[in-house]
Amino acid sequence: MTGRASSRSRRRSLLRTPSFWIAAAILAIVAFLAVFGSALAPQNPLAINAGALFQGPGAHHLLGTDYLGRDVLSRLMAGTRLSVLTALEAVVIGLVLGAIPGVATVFLGRWFDFAANRVADALMTLPYVFFAVAVTAALGNSLPHAMLPVGILLAPGFFRVTRAATLEHARAQYVEAAELLGASKLRVIRVHVLRKVLPNIAVTTASMTAAALLAVSFLTFLGIGVQPPAPTWGGILSSDLDYLSQAPWAPFIPGALIAITVGALNALADAFRDRSSAGTLMPVGQPDPSVESVDGDRQSQSVA
Amino acid sequence: MAVIDLTRPGGLGADPAPAAPRRRRGRVVLARLGGGLAVLVPIVFLSTFITYSLGALSNSNPAATILGQDAATPAAVARLDRALGLDHPLVVQYWNWLTQAVHGNLGRSWFTQIPVAQSISQRLPVDLSIAVLAVILAVAIGGTAGVVAAVRRGGWFDRGVTMACSAVSTLPAFVVGIILVVLFAVTLHLLPANGYVGPTTSVPEWLKYIILPSLALSLQVSADIARQLRTSLVEVLGQNYIVGAKVRGLPYRRILVRHALRNAAGPALVILGIDFPQMLAGAVAAEAVFSLPGLGQLLLESAQTRDIPVVQGLLLVISTFVIVVNLVVNTTVAWLYRTDGLGS
Repeated sequence: MTGRASSRSRRRSLLRTPSFWIAAAILAIVAFLAVFGSALAPQNPLAINAGALFQGPGAHHLLGTDYLGRDVLSRLMAGTRLSVLTALEAVVIGLVLGAIPGVATVFLGRWFDFAANRVADALMTLPYVFFAVAVTAALGNSLPHAMLPVGILLAPGFFRVTRAATLEHARAQYVEAAELLGASKLRVIRVHVLRKVLPNIAVTTASMTAAALLAVSFLTFLGIGVQPPAPTWGGILSSDLDYLSQAPWAPFIPGALIAITVGALNALADAFRDRSSAGTLMPVGQPDPSVESVDGDRQSQSVA
Repeated sequence: MAVIDLTRPGGLGADPAPAAPRRRRGRVVLARLGGGLAVLVPIVFLSTFITYSLGALSNSNPAATILGQDAATPAAVARLDRALGLDHPLVVQYWNWLTQAVHGNLGRSWFTQIPVAQSISQRLPVDLSIAVLAVILAVAIGGTAGVVAAVRRGGWFDRGVTMACSAVSTLPAFVVGIILVVLFAVTLHLLPANGYVGPTTSVPEWLKYIILPSLALSLQVSADIARQLRTSLVEVLGQNYIVGAKVRGLPYRRILVRHALRNAAGPALVILGIDFPQMLAGAVAAEAVFSLPGLGQLLLESAQTRDIPVVQGLLLVISTFVIVVNLVVNTTVAWLYRTDGLGS
């Protein structure tokens, strides 16, 4: 490796990317709020104050008050946990249902692969909002119920990315050598393939978390899964929308919170990708028609 | 951002066979359409089955719901179950539902007894107007931005487009919609904040009501199209045949439109196809922000009352829509690549 190339790789190292640190810091704050938000909220997020309606950001209410005089900062802090937890619920479901078959399908033969791909295709025809609302109609109106279908619909994204990445590595000569040496399929997957596929899974997980967070915000915005006084990011946005003529600035606060968190997750995905060159599933110069290059972060960009 | 690279021959999975006479090219498109249809059949059955089994998943008892608490004696429930066909196994119920659906009969609402197909066809024009206008806006905005950014690569416009695309990709459609309401309705008083007028009543009024929702819906797709078109156009413009065309002295505009854009448009079209289902989801967002009487409102209302036939009908219509759009996009892309896919 020449000196120039090594300095280049050092510059691209994850820990030296400023966007990685900014994104990580933002996400750390969000994670902190998810754990301690309701305990640390400066005021009771449900306390109604008829004397202080639609106040702008000020010393007493840092982010102002809403149409019932409730403190917006406290409501946002208290609402973080539900939004983050249910987004993670969907991502974990998607990861388990998508990534495991995605790796396995390469080793299980053509029929399983065909069937798994058709299931993924079928799921991709169901827009998540419709599916999520329909499931709450069937199972009952709660946010964990609503995020179950979102997780199922995230699975095809995980499936395609891991399948494509696994296909790429499963045909490598060292895998062939391991198989010739008599290594079992499980060992080949565990030792040789999984480690190579993990960066792709990491990138996809970050962008899928962004997608799931958008989904939570949108579903709570629609009033799915929460009882009115309980604060959620989307719910705050939706009540602000009803009082635009009194407080036109109000929706920008929860809107910015959602956009910054989603932006941080996308930046994290990009940082992972740049570092590991994961995501370039179809390397330039050797197009492979059998590898479907479906980029995980396409979903997060186009959600809602 | 990684992008799907489809600009190279073979990138779409088309056979890189030697050049074929013109007649055979048409056949390749037909074969692709046929192959697409063959793959579609299992997808259609699977997605409709998922849709139908939602009803079975629910612990609701339709007969008891319809009859009301007082009249729901076990005998009456059993009689109504038989009338509704609910005493059959799930697969039989599904088949009956699907064959009826093919004939345009999606059943009746449990509560209002209004045929589901009728309520859907009443609401569909709202979402269709928003979605179609949004696609037109996205192609116009995203296409222009992508082409200009690629032609003036590295300039201030290019950097501006890249930045705007990143910013837009973090903003969900409903937030964009709210920003537009604040800007154009509350602050500038230029356009109505909510409501809807059908195009049969007054076309200018109709446009006035759907322009903001469509714009909110189109920004994300515009950004995707701009990004994809810029990438593939930059690559195509660097190819030898473009240089060749320049050397032959063809006017630049003609090279750009007939040589470069035709080959670079495929990936952007694919993006449009991928984004379309999300646009329908976004249409629900736009409906919610602008209080439009569309499919999303129908879905929310029927989900609240757990009116399963309406919910199932809506999902069926939406997923069929997505499948058809994907097929059209794939066929169009195959047609676009009819020469290049066979080697040039």
